[in-house]
Amino acid sequence: MGELPKAGWKETALLLFDLRTRYLVEGDSMIPTLTQGDQVSVDRKADIAVGDIVVAKHPFKKSVTVIKRVREIDENGRYFLISDNLEDSNDSRSFGYVSKTHILGIATCLLN
Amino acid sequence: MLNKLKETLINKTPIEAAEAHCDGPCGVYDPSSTRVPAEAVLSMTKKILDLKKPDDGDDKAYAAYANTLARYISIKEEQAQIAKDESLILWTDYFKPEHLEKYPDLTDLFWKTAKLCSACKQEVSLEHAKELLSNVKKIHEMFWESKGRDVPWYTAS
Repeated sequence: MGELPKAGWKETALLLFDLRTRYLVEGDSMIPTLTQGDQVSVDRKADIAVGDIVVAKHPFKKSVTVIKRVREIDENGRYFLISDNLEDSNDSRSFGYVSKTHILGIATCLLN
Repeated sequence: MLNKLKETLINKTPIEAAEAHCDGPCGVYDPSSTRVPAEAVLSMTKKILDLKKPDDGDDKAYAAYANTLARYISIKEEQAQIAKDESLILWTDYFKPEHLEKYPDLTDLFWKTAKLCSACKQEVSLEHAKELLSNVKKIHEMFWESKGRDVPWYTAS
């Protein structure tokens, strides 16, 4: 599992110019990569690849935004999202594949 | 100094929440939450079957009998529903598709267990109550094996 780098000045500038979005991680399903209270910078326009950590809209709960890792992209361009903490987590194993319209961006670095 | 400045600048930007929550309270599942009510169903079924109706004409004894019978039935009904709810939580929240590959009869086991809970409410059947507890034992074995733990089966009664 790839770890996220710490934010440098370039990422900070991108954040200040609204080219990135700052997200607060709530919960432990991305342990050991991310823990409760971590903050990540998210690139809203990057191409998504297998292994990326993405922020996405929950497909069945409109008000919920989740942070997961892309395990697979199917032939229709849909994403299978999985938690790094596999045990008992709520991810594509329970809510299925998600479409690109649900993906809000890729986590590029840690902000804390 | 520069890091402090960077942190200050970052903290000035808007922030949104991204959930990384688990389904349950972070993995606290235990099939004993199904075993205890299933045992209660079996116990109540036995008690109902063992209950002796008093002789005709003894109104006081009949009132006591009716009260006891009603209580047994009420507890059996309530505990069967709890067993059903708890087993369904294990089925839908704990077990994942990868478990199905290892335990191909998992869905059938939970489905039949839920059906047995209903049967135990509808009937006074010692056979079905015993079968329910037997299914809960299978769930117990499947659950703990999937966690890689050796937890022996036991009953409270």
